[in-house]
Amino acid sequence: MVEKIKAELGAALGGVEIRETEYRERGYHLSCEASPGELLKAARFFDECGFYLAAIVCVDYREYLELVYIFANHSALCKTKVTLKLDPAKPAAPTLSAIFDCAYWHEREIREFYGVLFDGHPNLTYLFLHEGIDAYPLRKEQVLLADEDKKALGAFRPEEGEDTFFVNLGPQHPSTHGVLRVVLKMDGEYIQSAEPVLGYLHRMHEKMAENRSYLQFLPNPSRMDYLGAMSFNLGHVTAVERLCGIAVPDRANCVRVIATELNRISSHLLWLGAYLADLGALTPFLFVFDDREQINDVLEAVTGSRLTYCYFRFGGLYNDVDEAFIAGTKAFIERMRGRFGLYEKLVGGNVIFINRTRGIGVIEKERARKYAVSGPVLRGAGIAMDMRKAEPCAAYSEMDFDIPVGTRGDALDMYRVRVREMGTALDIIEQALARLPDGPVMAEKVPKKLKPPKGDLYHTVETPRGELGIYIVSDESDRPYRMKWRVPSFSNLMIFPELARGNLLADAVAILGSLDLVIPEIDR
Amino acid sequence: MEKIISIMGWETVKTIVGLVGVLIFVVFNALILTWAERKVAGHMQRRIGPKEVGPFGLIQPIADAIKLLGKEILTPREVDRPLYWLAPVLIFVPVLVSFVVIPFDASLQVRDMNAGILVILAFSSLSVLSILMAGWGSNNKYALIGAIRSVAQNIAYEIPLLLALLPVIMMANSFSLKAIVEAQQGLWFVVCQPIAFFIYFIAAVAETNRTPFDLPEAESELVAGYHTEYSGMRFALFFLAEYTNIFIVSAIAVTFFLGGYQGPFLPGIVWFLLKSYCLVFVIIWLRWTYPRVRFDQLLNLSWKALIPLAFINLLVTGGLLKL
Repeated sequence: MVEKIKAELGAALGGVEIRETEYRERGYHLSCEASPGELLKAARFFDECGFYLAAIVCVDYREYLELVYIFANHSALCKTKVTLKLDPAKPAAPTLSAIFDCAYWHEREIREFYGVLFDGHPNLTYLFLHEGIDAYPLRKEQVLLADEDKKALGAFRPEEGEDTFFVNLGPQHPSTHGVLRVVLKMDGEYIQSAEPVLGYLHRMHEKMAENRSYLQFLPNPSRMDYLGAMSFNLGHVTAVERLCGIAVPDRANCVRVIATELNRISSHLLWLGAYLADLGALTPFLFVFDDREQINDVLEAVTGSRLTYCYFRFGGLYNDVDEAFIAGTKAFIERMRGRFGLYEKLVGGNVIFINRTRGIGVIEKERARKYAVSGPVLRGAGIAMDMRKAEPCAAYSEMDFDIPVGTRGDALDMYRVRVREMGTALDIIEQALARLPDGPVMAEKVPKKLKPPKGDLYHTVETPRGELGIYIVSDESDRPYRMKWRVPSFSNLMIFPELARGNLLADAVAILGSLDLVIPEIDR
Repeated sequence: MEKIISIMGWETVKTIVGLVGVLIFVVFNALILTWAERKVAGHMQRRIGPKEVGPFGLIQPIADAIKLLGKEILTPREVDRPLYWLAPVLIFVPVLVSFVVIPFDASLQVRDMNAGILVILAFSSLSVLSILMAGWGSNNKYALIGAIRSVAQNIAYEIPLLLALLPVIMMANSFSLKAIVEAQQGLWFVVCQPIAFFIYFIAAVAETNRTPFDLPEAESELVAGYHTEYSGMRFALFFLAEYTNIFIVSAIAVTFFLGGYQGPFLPGIVWFLLKSYCLVFVIIWLRWTYPRVRFDQLLNLSWKALIPLAFINLLVTGGLLKL
């Protein structure tokens, strides 16, 4: 696959040098540097080959700005990095939003954080930030905003039409689970357009990462996705370990898998309860909390926290697991297996629930690719893509599990995929428990001050919500030069306006719920 | 006392005393039902519900009522004041009037009118007016959408409600609720009219805006629907009206289908309340079990399923009675 893409991409671009890189070190197979015209050609080429645009990252190297485009594939592991150098005084690049829909928001983000102008982008207004910010926050040197830029960025104003009115779904609204605001343009009960407004929980984690060492940043990732905190923690430590070449003991790897999967179940359980509450049934919420409590108790005993875990350390774990943990996990597996039947009876077989979710928010495979959705949303659409299988970290490569997929891509499929995923997570935990080796849980000789070699890395982990991509640029110091978090909910929310259009308000709530969004993760 | 009776006439005094009694009952009923709802919900959700205030938390509703009474009466700036103020008061009128004709026992009824059921149906249609007033007067989009939904829902479900009651009226040959109860000596109408009872019960749940038909106040979509902007005692009045409505629809179901106050051994009033609260329990049970239907599904259910079914039922009943 890699060879074929290299040859064909070389032919499509003509004359551009395409380098093969060491995947284990870099997280991508091919890289090339393009000019604006070549970038568009490359994007069209990848679009035709059925690739998706995983992330766009901007890095400020002082002498120049670099845009990094990561293209990846759902069916085979083949990642390509395409870079584009920009003049820092007047950065401008062509937009890819006409080819890949997911570029639409990534480019808006880069516009407000770096000041890069994307030619032909339909709506370059504030996504996270708001008026009153004078400089581009992620630039290495202070670059002030010109007045016309401020005006252009703050241009979003909802306008009421003759027969339409606006409803603000959020920021304080029961169904947005956090502080997401969606400006809905309504015609009666029907939605004409939906415009998410982000940034109510924006904390600039990416800038924070540049100002503290890798170790000091350890507690931050779990604050992004507080429901799948273990996966974010895992993503951060495995990325840094990969960058520094630290080998982790087997026991630690196995425990990492168990802890992450327990956390995944707890995240999916909370989703189940919250989703049913969105649809008007309040009882399942308390049923799932009953189950979640068991997971929290088990994890609390070894990690010391119940929600924002910081359990994994570079080279291993903070704390070894004991017999009580293993017994508690086994008891939980036993209990949970018996609960699926109950949930199926209470929820999955309910006529009202089926009528509310079947055929609602249908995501076709092609649209899923264009928007680069991931996780259960992607699998619900029928694409069997799981980072635990595609790019296994920790001990996932030794686990045998299947990937549940949906057939229609509607909200009901998302429900079924998530419920079945809880079952596969139980399988994985059982296997990991069975093969849990004895030994140390911390690698020897992990330096106190981590100074990774110069270079970059795109590292991915499967969180409960999908593909978490971490792009790290290291300059040999103990703090990252740039750390970009490509978070799954960001792409998953991006598809929402298209799904909501023309639907009833009640359906919009059902669709928003089926995407399983965690807002602090989107806002970072 | 005798002087008052001689001046005003026995009937008037009886009505006034009855109304006061009804008022006390309404408040008492709402207190019991808020407690019951929380307790039932608690046990259905693997909790225990209120337990701190009084034995089994029985005093909890009174504590809540005192809290609500103590709250500042807020009026948002942009509201339509007359409508905003009147709506919570007006929602209470039909509720009180409906109680006047319900026979709690053979001799315990404020007034036995020969068009009793028509009074209840006519006045219960009025409650939708105050919901509309609340939604429109609040000057809030969520409230307005909630009110519009409520109007459409009430119109759609009043028809099957009436159509389900008609066969019983035909069988009892009277509009008087007391006569209908008396006609059920020996055999309850639910036995000969199971379809009508079924239709009536679904329509009644929809009329009272309860889950799975709680669209006017769907909290995940419309925050709180038509009473989003209300707080304190005004909110409590909406609350009171909702719980009283639940009791009224259950009481009508008992009167029409379940033999009213009739039953062996125990006094009539005990039987009546027992049967009514059993139905109330079922309505609460539904709320804590089902998700909410969507608006178009709700209307489809009424217009495409319940109304045709009720018509067929009515025709069959009429035909059989004629034979």
